[in-house]
Order: sequence, then C-alpha cells, then structure tokens
Amino acid sequence: MSDLLEIRNYTLDIDTFDGPVHVLKDIDLTVRRGETLGIVGESGSGKTVLVRSVLGLAPKRARVVNGSIRFDGTDLSSLNDKGWKKIRGVRISMIFQDPMTYLNPLFSIGRQIGDVIAAHNRATGVSMSAAERRARSEELLDQVGIPDPARVCDQFPHQLSGGMRQRVLIAMALSGKPDLLIADEPTTALDVTVQAQVLDLINELVAKLNLTVIMISHDVGAIATVAKRCAVMFRGEIVEEGATEDILRAPQHDYTKRLLAAVPEIDAPLAARDEREPTRPLLEVKGLSKTYATKSSGGVRAVDDVDFAVSQGEVLGIVGESGSGKSTIARLVLRLVEPTAGAVTFDGSDITALNGEALRQMRRHMQLVFQNPHSALNGRHTIGDAIAEPFRIQSKLSRREIEANVEKLLDTVQLPKAFRYRYPHELSGGQKQRVCIARAVALKPKLLLLDEPTSALDVSVQAQILEFLRDLRAELDLTYLFISHDLAVVREICDRVLVMKRGKIVEQGPTAQIFEMPAQDYTQQLLASARKTAPSSLLADAGLAAAQ
Amino acid sequence: MLSFTLRKLAALVGTMLGIAALTFLITNVAPGDPARLVAGPNATEDMVETIRVQNGLDKPVTEQFVIYMSDLVRGDLGTSIVTTRPVLDELLRYAPATIELVLVAMALGILVGVPMGMLSAVYRNSWFDHATRIFSISGVALPAFWFGILLQLLFAVQMGWLPVSGRLPLVALPPEPITHLLLVDSLLRGQFDTFWTALKHIILPAVVLSFPCLASILRVNRAEMIEVLSSDHVVAARAHGLSSRRIVALYALKNAMLPTLAMIGLRFGWMLGSTVLVETVFDWPGIGLYAVSSALASDFKPVIGVTLLIGFFFIVANTIVDLAYAWIDPRLRNA
Repeated sequence: MSDLLEIRNYTLDIDTFDGPVHVLKDIDLTVRRGETLGIVGESGSGKTVLVRSVLGLAPKRARVVNGSIRFDGTDLSSLNDKGWKKIRGVRISMIFQDPMTYLNPLFSIGRQIGDVIAAHNRATGVSMSAAERRARSEELLDQVGIPDPARVCDQFPHQLSGGMRQRVLIAMALSGKPDLLIADEPTTALDVTVQAQVLDLINELVAKLNLTVIMISHDVGAIATVAKRCAVMFRGEIVEEGATEDILRAPQHDYTKRLLAAVPEIDAPLAARDEREPTRPLLEVKGLSKTYATKSSGGVRAVDDVDFAVSQGEVLGIVGESGSGKSTIARLVLRLVEPTAGAVTFDGSDITALNGEALRQMRRHMQLVFQNPHSALNGRHTIGDAIAEPFRIQSKLSRREIEANVEKLLDTVQLPKAFRYRYPHELSGGQKQRVCIARAVALKPKLLLLDEPTSALDVSVQAQILEFLRDLRAELDLTYLFISHDLAVVREICDRVLVMKRGKIVEQGPTAQIFEMPAQDYTQQLLASARKTAPSSLLADAGLAAAQ
Repeated sequence: MLSFTLRKLAALVGTMLGIAALTFLITNVAPGDPARLVAGPNATEDMVETIRVQNGLDKPVTEQFVIYMSDLVRGDLGTSIVTTRPVLDELLRYAPATIELVLVAMALGILVGVPMGMLSAVYRNSWFDHATRIFSISGVALPAFWFGILLQLLFAVQMGWLPVSGRLPLVALPPEPITHLLLVDSLLRGQFDTFWTALKHIILPAVVLSFPCLASILRVNRAEMIEVLSSDHVVAARAHGLSSRRIVALYALKNAMLPTLAMIGLRFGWMLGSTVLVETVFDWPGIGLYAVSSALASDFKPVIGVTLLIGFFFIVANTIVDLAYAWIDPRLRNA
C-alpha cells in the first residue's frame, strides 16, 4: 500500500485575544491508500482543526507554524484557490457532524448535489448536461440507500429526517469519486438506530468503492466499528497510535486508559444497588397526553396516554429516540407545557389544576436541569448571580444569607468558592453543568428532572457528572427523573427504566429486567443498535475473528 | 404557495379596513372640532353649524362611521376645500410622481446597498469595509432636508450639472401617459430627450430619499453575510469544492437576503413618510408635497386621503416582501 496522505511535524496556532493558542503540536500521521483510520479525542483536542487543515479549511486566524501536509505527492500548503478546486470534493471530500446545519436550507437536495457535480466537472474538464447531472444525483442518492431518489431530489433539507440528511451529505461527498473521505463525527447528532445504519453504510461504501477513510469522533465505539487503525488525540497531540483492537485491549497512554474507563459499558455487571423499601410514590402520572395542533387533521401526539409513577428516592430513567416525547413529559410534569389530557399528582396533590401562586410554590419542589449547560446559563451573569437567582425569586433571604447559601452550594457541587465571581465562558462544560445542578437544587427540591444532562459533555466529564449525581442524591435525599437517549448511561444510574416510542410507553420495569430480558421488539432493537458500537462487544467480535 | 398568496391578500384587505377605521378614529374621536377646523378661524357659530350639518358631523359617531366607510369603499374621499376638486382625483394625479421617486430610490438602495454589504462582509476589516461603514453610518445619521439642500448647493448651484428642483421643466413636453411614470412613458414613446431630462431631475431627490435606506440595507446585509459565511453549510460547500464566487453570490447571499428583505419592507414605509420632507425640499409634485400644502391650508380631507394612500402602499409593499420571503425560503411555504 502506498502513502496517500502524509502529515509531518504539523504545528498550528490560533491567534486569540490572549495571544496564540497551540492547537496542534507536532502532528505526525500517515494514511495509506485503502486504509481506514480513526482519530479519537474529546472536544478541544484539535481533531476537527486537523482534518479541516487537510482540506485547507482551518479557521481564519489559524497560522501554520511548522510542518507540511502532502497528499498523493502534492504539498497541500502551497496550493492556491485554483489548485484547491482540483482537490476539494474531487479527490478529498468530507462528511460532517450535524446534517441539518451542513445543508443549505434554501436549496433543494437535487440542486445542491447537482451544483457539486457541476463544480467537479469544471475542475476536471468534463461536460455534462443538466439532465445528466440530475441522473447522476439520483444514482448517488440510490447508492447511499435513499428510497425514491427522484422525489428526494425535489425536496428541501427540512423535509428529511436526520438519517436521510446524513445520507444526502455522504452522497454529495461521494459525487467526485474521491480517493480520501474524511468523516467528522458523522454519527454524533443521530439517534442510536440511525447511527448504526450510517456506520454500516460507511463500511459498505469502503468495501465497494475502495475508499480511504479518516473518521474522527469522540465516540470510541463508533470509531472502532469503522477504523482498523486508530490515533488518540489529547490537547493537540497524538498520544497513541496503533491497531484499534490493540488500543481497546491494552491502552498504553494514561489518557487513553482514562478515556476508555470513562465509557459507560452497556454490558458491564450492574453495580449493586442499595435495595430500598418501596416507598410511597412522589410523582404519579395518569393518562397524560399532549397533542400539538398541525395543519393535517388530528395533530401530532407528542405524548400519548402515558401512565407511570416515581417513588420517593428512586431514579426513573426515560429512554427513547428523538421525537419520542421524553422532553415533553418533563415539561408537562413541570407544567411548563399544558397537558391536553391526564393528571399529574405530586406529593399527594393533583397539580394539573394549580395556577398562580400555588403553582409557583409547587415549582420550588421540582427543578429541571437542561441538556446544554452552555446555553442554559446567561453569559452576562456571574456564576454567583446564576446560583443566587432561585433564592431571589422564591425566598425573602437577605443579601448576606443568599451569599452564604451560594457558597455552600458551590461547595456541594465541588467547585471552589471563588467561582462566584466568574462568568460562564470561563468554565468548562462539566463545571457549567455543575453550576446548573447547584442552581436546580438551591431550594431543596424533592424531585429533579434531568433532561439529557450529560449529552453535551465529553465522556470523561460525563462519568464525573454521573458519579456526582449519585453522591448528591444520597446527600440531599433526591428523586430523579433521568431522561436520556444513551442506554448505557441510563443503565448506570437508573433504578427503573421506561422505554418510549412516538409518545407511547413501550415497556417499563426495573433496569436489570429491561436490559437483560427486554420483552418488546423495539427495546431489543434499541439495545442491539447500542451494543453495535459498544467497545466490549467489538473486542469480543475481533477476538472471535482472531481465534477462528 | 397559492393558498399562501391568497391568505396574504385576504390579510391585506383586513389591514386596509383597519387603517381606514384608525384614520376615522383620529379625525373624529381625537379632541378638536373638524367642522370648526374646516370653517377656519374667522367663522361664526352659524357657519360652523351649517358645515357640521353639511358634512353629516351632527349625526351619531356610529352612523358617521358607516357613512365614512361606505364612501370609502366607493372611492369617495371627500372634496378638497382649497381646490374644490374630489380628493381621489387629486391623489391619482399626484401619486405617480411619488411612486416613481420611491421606486427609483428603492432600486438605488437595493442595487447599491446589497452588493456593498456583501463585499463589505467578504472583505471584512479591509479598507473597503471601513470606508463602507463610515458611509453607512453617515447615511443613517444625516437628516434628509439638510443633506438635500447640501446636494442642491453642490450639484445644482455650484457645478450646475443637475436641476435644483421639479420633475420636468415647464417648457418640456411630457409624454402621452401610459403608466404615468415619466421615465417609463418617455422610453415607451421613444422621447429619449425627455427621458434624459426627467432622469436628471430625479437623481438628487432619489439619492436623498434612498441614502438612509441604502445605509440600513447595507448594514443588515453585511451583518447577515458575516453570519452566514461562518455557518456550517458554507464550510460544507467549500469542502465539496464549490467556487468561492458561487458560494458568496448564490448560496450565502440567498440566506442573507431574508433579514435584508424585512429591512427593505420596513424602510419602504419609512420612505413614503419621508417624501413629505424630500418633496418639499425638491419641489417634487407628489403626494408628500400635496399633503404639506393641504395641511398648511387646514384642508384635512386631502391629509386623510394621503394617509390612507401611504398606508395602502406600505401594506402592499410588505405583502410583496412576505411573498418574496416564501419564494426564497421553502420552510415558510407551508407555514
């Protein structure tokens, strides 16, 4: 195999207000023709900047300090715009993380693919009529497994599902018959069943079209399903490189070990739970429904006749794919959204009819923690202000008492007291989520609703937050309603699990029962998709293959 | 798209009726006696009473409203006291001049503002961008009457390149009306000399009227372009190998045009209001000048007529903007 891409001593700085930041340090990486290479790293490790540099799309203020990138014998750093036209999309192409934002919302799918084909034709000097381009677009869509390509060509991005959009982006990337395909977190924004489909598709295309692939992800499992070889990036450096199997089995670098240990395992032995006496239910939901009116008759049933109960001190997990109504349930329980039908009983009293002051008083007993801590905090308020807010709204404490409480809460969430004076942008994602949790528990609520509290966080931070949530629950005697799409996370923290699909509860029961003996097809399907990218099962497969 | 258009047109009718009701309310419920206003300061009580009965002002307000609305629907806007001619006839006579001025000014604002904003965003922080920003801030800041007089002094009095005021000199023969817009009619009739003269007359007022509008279109478009150019789908388009020119002028501009269109709609209404000032400075025979001279003569029926007409144009312009929105953005078509 010959070397297709050679990155030598590549060092890159990004100029910021506070001087240059060393984003990439001395990167050495070789990709041979026909190879599949994975790059694993957490946010901020520089993996995206690295692969974008290969396409000459590094951020504007980036400065190459040292090193070179050679592609098939050409030095990419010396290329001008004209030179890039023969490379971008034609010989190296890229697929992206969030297929919604990476497609232009105002142009039809056929137009966008057709334009890419036209650009490639101009670069390579081929002439093609509009009808031929259209035919080629449909052929490409068919290749990536889109049913009825002719119809999809006339549709706009917002009319397609997330999985379909990702397939469209892959089709665009393949339109120039590239030698090298770069996949930048191609499955992160997708549901678990769709993730598995997209990874299968990439594997299939690699085999069929003899592609060379670089795939970057924070998800070790996703990398392992595609890449034979793998590099681990940490703070702008490649700390470890080798066969994916070897790295999973016997990581050498400390960081890799920590990273792998933090990955929640869907088949790890269940931690022993302190068996609790079944206590009285804290929250009871009966026949809860929410219908959103749409132009088509009947409307959308976001939540459809749901019954469940949460006992005092319990952690109830709600899992399901996007659009299954998980978040709507949390909002209905909090009465942030008015239910169409049904009753919510909290702590012995029906809260569906409350309003005004009574509703306000009830709300201090249940609090919500949001998915994305970066947008849940006001950037112009200090951390101290953010945590003090519930006290100012719901209590008559003096300023000094509030300050004392804020310090105590910072202590509870294991952050230094001095953080009071900091602003959100000065904190990391995990620290911000702790602040959000501190704010939620400020008024000593009985129930905490956590809506995907770790989805926006790196896996090592996720592990810390989960650990912290367990401790906090014991310390403050809390009850959790834990919403997540990540089955492994739910399995780690929840006592009981409720599986949702299209607004309905498919199955509910104790965690062990759901994960070991799922009764419903849908649950089995979800678990199978999640297992597909679980590092342990991959290792088991690889081990079997090696043994045969 | 068709049902969207129909719904917009229905909304247009509704809003028009709302404006009519509002002008009625302002003239009848607001303090001040319209009969006395019409009669003038030196009228006796008897004269005021006669005018009151003549104009039906002695009837109950509800009945007056019904009469007012039914007159309006039949296109009867009353009679001007000064000229003793129906207000509608006068409006129809003056409106084309204003429409022509506003259209030329708006075209100037869009054709200069959009490309300048776009280039300014592409070459951000270059000398061009800085110059553009100074230009646009002065456009928003300069008052129209002062800027107008300044331009008259410079280009008409000092240089003598352009006429000081008016739409056409008295000696020039206007073309046989087809659209009543001088520039269009003179071209259609093949009177190129007249076209040239009319063009020279319209340049200064159009520049003054369009300057603030041009500046705000430029600023909105620049800000939007900067935002869109750093968006994910532009990165993707570059990675797919599309040329920068195509990305900027087609893919990014179409996205940036949405907020720019909203600004254009808003500025259109503002422009119609400003014709009152600009037409006075340049002695432009349009509805703005008509409104000013009527107001000075306490002739209030024409003022109401002008208000209704400006309201009508404003709503029509914004309906067109709404339709353009749906035409550009597929997500709005079914909304």
